[in-house]
Amino acid sequence: MIEVTNLVKRYRDLVAVDGISFSVAKGEVLGFLGPNGAGKTTTMRILTGASPATSGKAMVAGFDVFEQPLEVKRRVGYLPEQPPLYDDLDTLSYLRFVSRIKGLRGERQKSEIERVIAACNLESVRKRRLGELSKGFRQRVGLAQALLGEPEVLILDEPTIGLDPNQIVEVRSLIQKLAEKHTVILSTHYLPEVIQLCKRVVIVHRGRIAANDTLENLTAGGRSLEQTFYDLTQR
Amino acid sequence: MRNIFAIVRKELLQYFTTSVAYWVFAVFSLVTSFFFIRILTFFQRSIMINSQMRPQMLQYMNFTDQVLAPLFYNAAVILIFVAPFLTMRLIAEERRARTFDLLLTNPVTPFQIALGKYLASLVVLLVMVLLTLVYPLLVSVYAEVGAVAWSTVLTGVLGIFLLGASFTAIGMFVSSLTQSQVVAAFLTFLVLLLLWVVGWAGADNAGLAREILTGLSAIEHIRGFAKGVIDLKDLAYYASLIGLGLFFTHRSIETLRWR
Repeated sequence: MIEVTNLVKRYRDLVAVDGISFSVAKGEVLGFLGPNGAGKTTTMRILTGASPATSGKAMVAGFDVFEQPLEVKRRVGYLPEQPPLYDDLDTLSYLRFVSRIKGLRGERQKSEIERVIAACNLESVRKRRLGELSKGFRQRVGLAQALLGEPEVLILDEPTIGLDPNQIVEVRSLIQKLAEKHTVILSTHYLPEVIQLCKRVVIVHRGRIAANDTLENLTAGGRSLEQTFYDLTQR
Repeated sequence: MRNIFAIVRKELLQYFTTSVAYWVFAVFSLVTSFFFIRILTFFQRSIMINSQMRPQMLQYMNFTDQVLAPLFYNAAVILIFVAPFLTMRLIAEERRARTFDLLLTNPVTPFQIALGKYLASLVVLLVMVLLTLVYPLLVSVYAEVGAVAWSTVLTGVLGIFLLGASFTAIGMFVSSLTQSQVVAAFLTFLVLLLLWVVGWAGADNAGLAREILTGLSAIEHIRGFAKGVIDLKDLAYYASLIGLGLFFTHRSIETLRWR
């Protein structure tokens, strides 16, 4: 479903992504780990078409991200690190706007909005201005936005950051449910989340792949995922 | 097409929920009404003086040319101050709040983003410009039939609208260059100011330099419209400013992806 080959992203004097390759199978939830500044967000931004790569190739849902960006964007739901919310709009008008630019019309638009409102527990804030919402609600509106139109691929950049423990449990079980229908790339710093949700893990460090393996292998021999992560990203 | 319309709707919603639109309407009406009253009082005084001293001059006086034309000219100058507030938010705020990524990662093209935002600002501008119709309407209620030459009024309004449309096109481009609304407004104001004073520099010169400098001045091109004349030269001037503004905004949005 996702095929990344030798991806490089260079800024003026900084190599953010330095030849990353990995692939994600349909229906898989991939844990995308790495220390801050390792190139996770950059990689995800490239996959969503928000930013072009310097070189390399990326295929999402059978389309080349650089050749057919619109086709890819139709099939990807993206929750950036900071949820992209318009503070002046209320939840409902925000979701309406996003569903319109995703090309959802009429009855389908209505039913999709109701579906994501229910899925993300936003019933109580339908008419509230986004600027007034707490961090947890903002995060969930961001997630709701990514789910609109049931995209084949979901790219979630730290979806549980800033949530309280109850909300974390809710969002995790939501992602678990999504995993049945969607292919997910999940970036997070909470390793228990990875253990609960992902079968396979990619660890990036300084723009390169430090590990690309199943969770079982990474925690083989009684090692904790924390220990593996620490060992791989300390060099 | 539907994408453009979706963006227009969202931008308009923001214009009104942030009350930017209301403020712009209020300030513009307040200042134009001030000018209207001043110019009208002056006109009345001239009538009084002329009827006592030079009655033969009265036949040359008319409301449209001596009140409305200067009013439109003043409204054009006011636009220099109002337009930056209309456009400062358009792209700068999307960049600051990181909502620009939302647009970039959805199936919308940079052209649709630019055009949608521009059309929304034109809607607000149009309402604002139409507010100036209140003055000739008021006068036509109280004055005798024929006091207001409506064809001149309409070309005047068209002229102000085209001028404002050029200003918002420039403002939108400037807004794409920064993440700060304040910087966007200030830079736009500087550019628009320059487009005004370049006409003064023209007046100080002669020959070709004068032609070029006054030709560049955005405000000079309103004079024809205010007198009821639609000149192809003026239309071409505003059309090229609008075209350039949109083109550069489109380019600028494209390059934003690379940062």
